[in-house]
Amino acid sequence: MAARHEQGRKDPIFAVRDLVKGFGGLMAVDGATFQVSRGSITALIGPNGAGKTTLFNLATGFIKPDRGAIEFEGQSVFRRPPHAVARRGIGRTFQITKALTAMTVMDNMMLAAPDQPAEQLLGLLTHPFSWRRQEQSIRDRSMELLERFRLASLAYAYAGTLSGGQRKLLEFARLLMAKPRMVLLDEPLAGVNPVLGQQILAHVHELRSEQGITFLFIEHDMEVVMNNADRVIVMAFGRVIASGLPLEVRRDQRVIDAYLGAHAEDVA
Amino acid sequence: MIPHLIGITPFAHADFWLGVGIVAGIYAIFTLGLQLNVGFTGIVNLGQAGFMAIGAYAMAILILTYGWSPWLALPVATLIAMLAGVIVAMPSVRLRGDYLAIATIAAAEIVQSTAQNAISLTGGNNGLLGFDAGWQTIQVWLLGALSTIGLGDMDQIPLLAVTWITFAVLLTTLLTLQHTPWGRVLRAIREDEDAAEALGKNAYAYKVQSLALAAGIGAIAGYLLAINITLIYPGTYSADFTFIGFAILVLGGLGSYSGVALGSVLLWFVLEGARFLDLPLSADKVAALRLLIVGLVLILVMALRPQGILGKREEMVLRG
Amino acid sequence: MRPPRHPPFFLMLTTASSLEATPSETAGLGLSTGARGLALLGGAAVVVLILIAVKGYQPAAQATANGLVAGTYFALGAVGLALVFGVLRLVNFAHGDFLTFGAYTALLANAFFRLPIIVATAIAIAATALLGAILELAIWRPMRARHAGGLQLLLIAIGLAYVIRNGIQIVAGTEPRSLQVDVTSAVSFMGGIRLGTTELAVVLIGLVVLLLVAVLLSVSRLGKEMRALADNVSLAEVAGVDTGRVIIATWLVAGGLAGLAGVLVAAAVGVLTPQFGFQLLLSLFAATVLGGIGNAYGALAGGLLLGLTQEWSTLFIDPRWKLAVGFAILILTLLIRPNGLLGRPALK
Repeated sequence: MAARHEQGRKDPIFAVRDLVKGFGGLMAVDGATFQVSRGSITALIGPNGAGKTTLFNLATGFIKPDRGAIEFEGQSVFRRPPHAVARRGIGRTFQITKALTAMTVMDNMMLAAPDQPAEQLLGLLTHPFSWRRQEQSIRDRSMELLERFRLASLAYAYAGTLSGGQRKLLEFARLLMAKPRMVLLDEPLAGVNPVLGQQILAHVHELRSEQGITFLFIEHDMEVVMNNADRVIVMAFGRVIASGLPLEVRRDQRVIDAYLGAHAEDVA
Repeated sequence: MIPHLIGITPFAHADFWLGVGIVAGIYAIFTLGLQLNVGFTGIVNLGQAGFMAIGAYAMAILILTYGWSPWLALPVATLIAMLAGVIVAMPSVRLRGDYLAIATIAAAEIVQSTAQNAISLTGGNNGLLGFDAGWQTIQVWLLGALSTIGLGDMDQIPLLAVTWITFAVLLTTLLTLQHTPWGRVLRAIREDEDAAEALGKNAYAYKVQSLALAAGIGAIAGYLLAINITLIYPGTYSADFTFIGFAILVLGGLGSYSGVALGSVLLWFVLEGARFLDLPLSADKVAALRLLIVGLVLILVMALRPQGILGKREEMVLRG
Repeated sequence: MRPPRHPPFFLMLTTASSLEATPSETAGLGLSTGARGLALLGGAAVVVLILIAVKGYQPAAQATANGLVAGTYFALGAVGLALVFGVLRLVNFAHGDFLTFGAYTALLANAFFRLPIIVATAIAIAATALLGAILELAIWRPMRARHAGGLQLLLIAIGLAYVIRNGIQIVAGTEPRSLQVDVTSAVSFMGGIRLGTTELAVVLIGLVVLLLVAVLLSVSRLGKEMRALADNVSLAEVAGVDTGRVIIATWLVAGGLAGLAGVLVAAAVGVLTPQFGFQLLLSLFAATVLGGIGNAYGALAGGLLLGLTQEWSTLFIDPRWKLAVGFAILILTLLIRPNGLLGRPALK
């Protein structure tokens, strides 16, 4: 059992040290080190190919790192499988939204609720009747979240019929069912209209204030980062080249070089 | 090569059609397992006939070699088949779709090969006889009961009834399971394993369970098949059996358990109804023609109406 | 088109010499495909020497020769499978029946129309190539246009397998038949190795064709386009590859190789039944998986290795377990190294 840190303690909720992942000879992540403070909204930025999504996948167990250390709330999650990492309290979205289209919105939400004995065959045998009561309470909780995200009217529609923006909201609402303490958002604003984008950001801030959820998000839009992030981590060439307050990072020469370098190649 | 009907109307052959009903029922049970794997978990189990064989042989060996009572042998043989399902699943379900399919084929081949070669255990190509003494007793009793309503000489009815009642029980069980949280996780894994994992679900464990359950269901189909032909030999549990099962699966509709019954009855009544056409072909060519027709059914359904008759288009997630 | 962020030098060499090698797929020791191929060759030679030492020259050399005979037609069949998978991501379950189709076409030309076996073989190759192309135009292309999923394509392939196989059975019946080839004369060479003249022809023809295919894949424009498609379809299209044309060409080559393989099997084994191709399919899968599914060079190596290993096993165990050896190889590969010796990852 993880020792529960109280909110406000200085220990980082999430830390990565000298993390390395190579594919063949290509080093996707080449010795990344950074920390995320509890209750912060942190942006992970960097030019294309810097290794940001790979880092997310390493952090959440979808890819196995070669070496290094990954810790969540003081406990190692190095090479743990994705479902185990999720159960520790990390939720995530994907670059390409993974709404389960062949299931209804409500099913998507109820799926995500944690601690359901009826999800195990053994549990069904030992709790043959009580699981239905739990289903009802899960349904109620799902409805609350859906209402918060203004998806309630679509509760019984197949997720496949939702628009791209609605699916993004669904993916977000869904992961909250599991009551995560940290949420990784992979380009949460990609492909959504600005109004919806602002709504998503508003949710992020609300959830952080109300529940102390830590957010780490990958983002390309500098204005969004400047206006929303407490701290910024910059990756390039698989490494963390800078981290700190948004304004500091923006002025950091190494960061400017990394981005300019990318643009120079674009021009060439 | 114009076929012409024989002079006798097919419906006079009630006994024949009862036999077809039994075969359709056995295939329907078999295909319920396929539906669980393919339609509801997204894993392509091309080795289902192998589990059927394991169940049937285990049952017969326990009864004949170890003298067990059928009432004990049947559940234990089912557990053995499910264990085989777990063993096959454990290394296989981690593999990508095509590899998984190939792995299950290999597993079934091993079973069939063992059945042919481990002669002291399985009787080799001669097979095993006499395991159905228990059933014979039951059948005599049932026919006695039937004779009170004048149906005493329709000796196919007991097995037909048992087969379809078994199907109904399994169907109800699977439908119930489907509407539980367990079933919900399965459907999520079917579409997108990563999404399910990111929500804390151990996709690997569920896939192993799915295959194990299907193996158990296959075993049950195996017992009924064995009773029907009163013999257990390797040739019955062949890739052709699984292939016909898949045709039934897609015809009835992926993702529809009740569609399995419809698909099986439809396919078998068409295939067996063709017996009444007098084709100038030798027996082995007629057998080939039937398989060719089944192949066409598979292709046409998958190409033109992939959700089959009763499948739901919105639930079609045809992962490779 | 921008080069990747980190272009390690050796990766450029690798991409040039293997069918497909994106960064995530040449994992492991980072050896290029070419280097691994040489290592395999060396390994095989070492094994032969060990067998000679342990079992004596004649038995070991004979087993090796027999293994090469089987290995050539395994390889020819497996290369076709790998090409189709590499370019189309389709596991062609009907491939075994392509071999049957080729063999029976040759039978028709040779035994029925009394054409010389060379002509019959040419007809078989052409006919099977055509079969592949026709199926692509009639079935695979429309299905891809409709965004058919992997399961749909898989089941269609299985259905096709049954249609082709049973179609042949309806026309030709189940009784075993033979091509009009010389089954009696034999040659002795290299100090006691004995092969039927036909078997020798099979090996020589097969190896020559395999060599041609390997060279064409690396050197010809078509070969490069096939490899580009296998690597990344959208990227290839952007680079100007006419995917439709290349896909047809892939089917023609795969079909032609399968047709030839079928004839060679019929010639080497001596008898044909409509089931033989399907019965070979698992061995062809074993060869492709061993070599790395989707990698044509791997399939070539895998086929030869499979044939050799099966025959070498007969030096130690009863020959009727030969097929089981093939299964064992398939299963071991899937368990230990699913991406085969040279191929793309099999784990999700």
